[in-house]
Amino acid sequence: MQTRRDFFKSVAGAAAGAYIAGRGVSASAQRGGGGGRGAVVPPGPRKQISIGGKRVTVIDVHAHCTVDGVAEVVKGTPFERQAGGRALGADRIALIDSEGIDIQVLTINGYWWWEVQDRDLANRIVRAQNEGLARWVSDHKDRFVALTSVSLQFPDLAAEQLDYGVRQLGLRGATIGGHVSGQSLSDPKFDPFWAKANELGVIVFMHPGGADNIIKEEAWKARGDIGNIIGNPLETTYFLTRLIFDGTFDRFPNLKVCGAHGGGYLPSYFQRTEVACDVRNNAMCANKKHPREYLTTNIMADTMVLTDEGLRHLVAEMGVSQVVYGTDNPLNWPVPVEMIVNHSTLTDDQKIQILSGNLMKLLKLTPTLA
Amino acid sequence: MRNRRDFVKTLAAATAGSFVAQRPATSLGAGGFAWAQGGAAPKRREVFIGRKRIKVIDSHHHLNIADVARVVKGTPYEPQAVTTGDGIVGPERIAWMDRDGIDVALLTQQGAFWYGVQDRGLAREIVKAQNEGTAAVVAKYPDRFIGMASMPLQFPDLAAEALEDGITRLGFKGAGISAGWAGAKNLTDPEYDVFWSKAQELGTFLFMHPGGTNGNGDPHFGGKGALPNTIGNPLETTIFFSRLIYEGTLDRFPGLKICGAHGGGYLPSYLGRTDAQCRRQGDVCSGKKRPVEDYFHTQLMADIMVFREEGLRHLVAELGVGQLVYGTDIPFGWPVTPDFILNARVLNDAQKEQILGGNLIKLLKLTPATTA
Repeated sequence: MQTRRDFFKSVAGAAAGAYIAGRGVSASAQRGGGGGRGAVVPPGPRKQISIGGKRVTVIDVHAHCTVDGVAEVVKGTPFERQAGGRALGADRIALIDSEGIDIQVLTINGYWWWEVQDRDLANRIVRAQNEGLARWVSDHKDRFVALTSVSLQFPDLAAEQLDYGVRQLGLRGATIGGHVSGQSLSDPKFDPFWAKANELGVIVFMHPGGADNIIKEEAWKARGDIGNIIGNPLETTYFLTRLIFDGTFDRFPNLKVCGAHGGGYLPSYFQRTEVACDVRNNAMCANKKHPREYLTTNIMADTMVLTDEGLRHLVAEMGVSQVVYGTDNPLNWPVPVEMIVNHSTLTDDQKIQILSGNLMKLLKLTPTLA
Repeated sequence: MRNRRDFVKTLAAATAGSFVAQRPATSLGAGGFAWAQGGAAPKRREVFIGRKRIKVIDSHHHLNIADVARVVKGTPYEPQAVTTGDGIVGPERIAWMDRDGIDVALLTQQGAFWYGVQDRGLAREIVKAQNEGTAAVVAKYPDRFIGMASMPLQFPDLAAEALEDGITRLGFKGAGISAGWAGAKNLTDPEYDVFWSKAQELGTFLFMHPGGTNGNGDPHFGGKGALPNTIGNPLETTIFFSRLIYEGTLDRFPGLKICGAHGGGYLPSYLGRTDAQCRRQGDVCSGKKRPVEDYFHTQLMADIMVFREEGLRHLVAELGVGQLVYGTDIPFGWPVTPDFILNARVLNDAQKEQILGGNLIKLLKLTPATTA
């Protein structure tokens, strides 16, 4: 099977590569996002969002970054080239200022380090990532929180890393991809990780990488960047679907798993999943509850469905408690905070829940705005 | 790679064969199949909206033709022929339609095994048997069925020929595309222009149904939850529609009308990302001429197999009611009786009539009044 990093290189690289030098966007952010121009804005006034005359906090759950310190760890290894990317800096603060984001939830994506077979090296990479994140967050306490990277190819180690990241480094949860070398994360071998997330009650943010576990690269050789626009939601759909049908959510009922890009296709096209166990007599479903119960409790999604009607539908399907604002920063998807603030059908209370209320609770943040 | 016919066979056999007898009550409250368990044929249900009798037309309705067995006998495709079971249309099928209130159904072949046949002569003979068989079913029940041509889509020229024969000689009103691709070929490859051109020339209504996964996904779709169906089907339709848009096929043939099964797959329910990418990176979308949603408002259609009112509301909002048609997937037991539309609070009476039959009456130039 083609490796994840090859896939990223070929699919995202063509589109994204050219921008990296010129636009100063980190390589790993480009991988996860799959092409597109990064937003770079000059420092300017901080945009402040109000709803009904009241200042509201805006939290962005979907934000890519890389940190210093990883390059040194992988120097001289086959992974040397993966550590690249420009680390967080003042331009990120300028960006979130300009977009009205008060607090950004940082994650390192791409998950190339899941291919590292040397356990010690794997651990050191993740340690460098998490300490780098913790350092940045500590220096910018009022604007950023972060989620731990984990070495999910070693599930027990991943559990330790999550525990350490949350308890010792003050990180708020974990970020993961949709598979480890093609293995579904619903496989019981990954239970130690899920058990730890369940125990800690922290958010797990899942970001896809073009469904290279499902679709061969050749299938994406087509116009429309469909490796990204179909591949990403597909990987997330498959990932969440397996967590449902294989009973992962039953084993770990406290899980909160947030899927990027509106949770892929799953929440927006939930009905086929919903009836599968009833209608398909070969479905062998292991889930104990009706699929919708997981959709409205364990599964969360960011708001990246990109249209007013899409967001109305997402909220109608999942319940407003499951939907959180996300931008895919620093990539330039059209997801301004106004999409929530000016939404045509959401109530003010619902808008506030999506912009920050849901995440305040889950990330255990204290409201700091008057 | 596992081939399509094995896949389809597994899928069809596992589902279709044993299903009726042991059908569980679904959580969505679809009715049971009392008639199939030995009861007398029910009285034909007549659907009204207000006081107006409505002709209910099912766009998504499968059959098998037993005579295909004769053609494939002694070939590697012999096991693919279906000669018994509820895919064979007979009095039980009519009873099913009567019970649910379906007046007319568009008949498309179940499966797509013949897309794998590499011998032109054999492929042609299989399709001929399917189409002659379908025509015979229509002749037997002329007021209840409309024929849809099957085609050997792995041979674009033969596909065009079968399409023309079906429409002009056999009186079919459209054709079925039974998979999102034909073997290694994408249906947007230039060699398919001869087929699309013929479909446009004849004004053919095309109903596209996925054949399962594309084969790449087999090992991953083996888990619980019937994933080749649950994910594989909408995925295949999504890739098919995306390619038609991005490769410019719909621009080259603006007269095409193509309806995607199962709510048209994921795209109509998750349209934002498709269009947004074109605004972000126009270069990747250079093969098409119009905004993505425009294709969904004009050339691409969907059946209403989304099962829940919120899903239906979303489809109507994204595509417009004129692009949606009633479809059941009979003889598979999905919960989609006409009541799904009749009871939808988000639709007015005129919209219900459009979806249940009006759109297809117009498109296929059918007689509006039912003779039932």
